[in-house]
Amino acid sequence: MNCEKTREKFADYLVGDVDEKSLAEVQTHLAACPACRGELESLSAIWTKLGVLPREQPSSALRQRFYAMLEAYKEGMEKERTRASFGQAVSRWVKRFMPRRPVYQFALSIILLASGLGGGYWMSSNRPAVKREITALKQEVNDMHGLVAVTFLQKASPSDRLMGVNWSSRIAEPDEKILQTLLDTLNHDLNVNVRLAAVDALYLFYNYPQVREGLVNSLAQQTSPHVQLALIDLLVEIRERRAVEALEELMQNKKLHSRVRQRAEMGLAQLS
Amino acid sequence: MKKIRQLLILALLLFLAGFFAKAQEPAAERAVVSFSNPAKPGTLEVGLHGGSITVRGYEGKEVIIEARWREKLLTRKETELAEMAEEEKDEEEIAKEKAQAARAKGMKALQVESTGLTVEEEENVISVEVELGKRSVDLTIQVPYSTILKLSNSEGAITVEKVDGEIDVNSSEGPIILTGVAGPILADCSDGEIKAIFSKANPGKPMSLSAMDGDIDITLPADVKASLRIKAEEGKVFTDFDTQLTPSYQKKEEDERKGGGRYRVAFERTSLALINGGGVEIKLNAYEGNIYIRKAK
Repeated sequence: MNCEKTREKFADYLVGDVDEKSLAEVQTHLAACPACRGELESLSAIWTKLGVLPREQPSSALRQRFYAMLEAYKEGMEKERTRASFGQAVSRWVKRFMPRRPVYQFALSIILLASGLGGGYWMSSNRPAVKREITALKQEVNDMHGLVAVTFLQKASPSDRLMGVNWSSRIAEPDEKILQTLLDTLNHDLNVNVRLAAVDALYLFYNYPQVREGLVNSLAQQTSPHVQLALIDLLVEIRERRAVEALEELMQNKKLHSRVRQRAEMGLAQLS
Repeated sequence: MKKIRQLLILALLLFLAGFFAKAQEPAAERAVVSFSNPAKPGTLEVGLHGGSITVRGYEGKEVIIEARWREKLLTRKETELAEMAEEEKDEEEIAKEKAQAARAKGMKALQVESTGLTVEEEENVISVEVELGKRSVDLTIQVPYSTILKLSNSEGAITVEKVDGEIDVNSSEGPIILTGVAGPILADCSDGEIKAIFSKANPGKPMSLSAMDGDIDITLPADVKASLRIKAEEGKVFTDFDTQLTPSYQKKEEDERKGGGRYRVAFERTSLALINGGGVEIKLNAYEGNIYIRKAK
């Protein structure tokens, strides 16, 4: 038995709650180990001191304090009751002003609602400072989304870049930098899934001329058949006529996936 | 500052048929490589041009790589594909080959003896590469559970078992089979199916699985919280989870009627399915194949 295991048994040893086998083991160890003997001596000293501590007796002051507290509590309850009746008085007072007939009640509530809405509208529209603040705030959120998007798009992990693309689709009015970053992602990202997500994100911004042009030019750069398909679908859907030339060029490629070729032919028919 | 760099290059040379003619099965080459910083999850990158990749998580700290070279250069299916590629060759390529044949007239071709397998460790990234144009190889790699994987195979299967780290996997010709994974996962396969059985779904980062010709078949834990963004162009979507497909929220309005144009409303073209109220975002893109979303039993 080592020191650690022996010391674990000390508490039981002191109260005499060890079986014979353990007792013998502990005693053998103690005989051989002066360090454990010292430890046990100091422990048993504390143990005996704990034993002789006098038991705490409640003083007479305690009784007095207890009744004072009880009294205070009763008083508090009483106050609560009077406050409740005050509430009832208020509601009775309000009732006197309340029209009896439900029709009038309804009309009154409509008037209150309308004045509330009107007031709120007036306050927000008539104070240019507030208006400016809201615009600034919107702009700030927009910028922040853009910043997050661009930061994540430059990460090494593809799932981080995917997150960047997802962030960019939350931007209401993307600036040139964000659009360019998305187009770069579409053209150069190593991961097909990230490029596919970029196609979906750019679909939301297709009314920017920069994006339309970028999408048309991107077709020649794609090597993955899946991304090619997604791009063709998108160009056909936004009816981008400049894509006709790009599609014809794409079909020159002999190694084109048969499915992409088929889709490109269909796209050409739809666009021209 | 002197750049601390641990670079380990194991060039494994293997000799052809004559050497191994007596062997019952193709001999395996084995390499054991450790990460320079084992306290942090390391990254394993594998780039293959044919054959198969199998990666398994295990209790150890080292990466154990086993390579088995195939007797034939290509499998039968691969030979067929090579023949098809032959037919599709353009004039320029045919002319080039003819010129090469003319040059080698009266000579015989010698087999290249090096297989060109390289294993490299740098800054906690282990990369395994096989030179292009060599024989197909079946790689079996054991990695610590938390390893980050980047696997690509231009022709052939990729299998991953019991790996918790981020997995980025692509194969032109699948299948891609992931078992006991947690994500984030980005998988893409143009001509085969993707099958993924999740042990759990790591929250936070989005995942995306894309298959062009094949099916996507995923199994999620019953209590998973996930938002699935689904795009199935021609296939169908099946699930035994209690969920519905709803068009997703993004909407675009366009009014050009003032300038004699048209009016149109376009919705983002994916559908959304929330599982257990929604959570980690998983994108599933299928073109021709179906999508199966299974509840783990």
